[in-house]
Amino acid sequence: MTTSEREYETLSAMMDGEADELELRRVLDSTSSDPALREKWRRQQMVRELLQNRRISQPTVEVSSAVTKALTGRKSAISNPIWSMAVAASVTMAVVLGGQQLLVPQSNVMEGTLVSDVVGGVVPVLGAQPVQASLGARSLPVAGRQMESADSERREVAAMYERLAQDRYRNLGRRHASAAAQTHPAPYISYVRSPAASAEKPPLQ
Amino acid sequence: MTASETDQQLVQRTQRGDLRAFDLLVLKYQGRIAALVSRYVSDPSEVEDVTQEAFIKAYRAIDKFRGDSAFYTWLYRIAANAAKNYLVSRRRRPSADATLEDTEVGQQAELLADVGTPEAVAMGEELAAVVEDALASLPEELQAALTLREFEGLSYDDIAAVLDCPVGTVRSRIFRAREAIDERVKQQMSGESGFR
Repeated sequence: MTTSEREYETLSAMMDGEADELELRRVLDSTSSDPALREKWRRQQMVRELLQNRRISQPTVEVSSAVTKALTGRKSAISNPIWSMAVAASVTMAVVLGGQQLLVPQSNVMEGTLVSDVVGGVVPVLGAQPVQASLGARSLPVAGRQMESADSERREVAAMYERLAQDRYRNLGRRHASAAAQTHPAPYISYVRSPAASAEKPPLQ
Repeated sequence: MTASETDQQLVQRTQRGDLRAFDLLVLKYQGRIAALVSRYVSDPSEVEDVTQEAFIKAYRAIDKFRGDSAFYTWLYRIAANAAKNYLVSRRRRPSADATLEDTEVGQQAELLADVGTPEAVAMGEELAAVVEDALASLPEELQAALTLREFEGLSYDDIAAVLDCPVGTVRSRIFRAREAIDERVKQQMSGESGFR
């Protein structure tokens, strides 16, 4: 059997969905160099239609060459070096202009103004709604406070957040252990390492 | 595996950018899509233009095809829309046959409707006679293998079981049967001036 005959046999198997991926690839590789293969595929599709329906629709229509030509032209236009350079230049321009926008100080930014200096303690931001943040009964010292007390209050708040985080972490650990004990099929001891919790314990001897 | 799985293989390769795979799909379906378009558009040159446009649209949208339906069903919808849009752009109304497309039986009706020019229909009838004659002239074992495949839709494995022979033999017999028929069709087509 010659190479062509082998490819024609594969083409026949392809008609029936009985060709594997490798065979299909070989046939596709050959279609570029062997126009007879394409013609045979087309005729065999017509024969199938005639066998199964005893009639054929539009036997004279041939648009495949025009379609391939149109699509190849479109693909080559996109992969054209001039087109690629134009796209690259546009992207570069956008990046440069965007970077400049970020670097140049905006005139509407109140330079050196503290939040506490703004009337009402709220910085006007377009589209934003002012909210009052609170933690328990205490209000957070973000506005309307003197600079002298700001440091100590900031430390106090940071410590409060730290305690809250540790409590939450332990709670999660307990819930995780409880859920794991109920759902895991095998005896299971969950282990959650809490850096803060372990730091409180003395190191193992 | 079925013939539609070959379509799926070709679609996947097209989605990976293999235009040769799409070319085989165009060659396979161009006649049926042109037949569909011809029920909206009567001018043969316009039929070719709209058919071509439908395939180009299908190629551009091929990444959206997920294989939930058969490729031909998906392509059919694109072609029907392309034909309708063409009519809208020309401010024309579809022919009475074309209204069948909007129904579920549209695709089945495609096989029953008269399609193409009278010359094309006559050419198709001549080809049908040639194919029938060629099939009847085949050696019995080739005819049996091809008949089980084309008319019964059996897989090669099933045909091998029915004919009690290896799968490779089935594949070879079907190929030889098709080659014999193709030789007669090729002769007929080369004698016809209308074929390209």
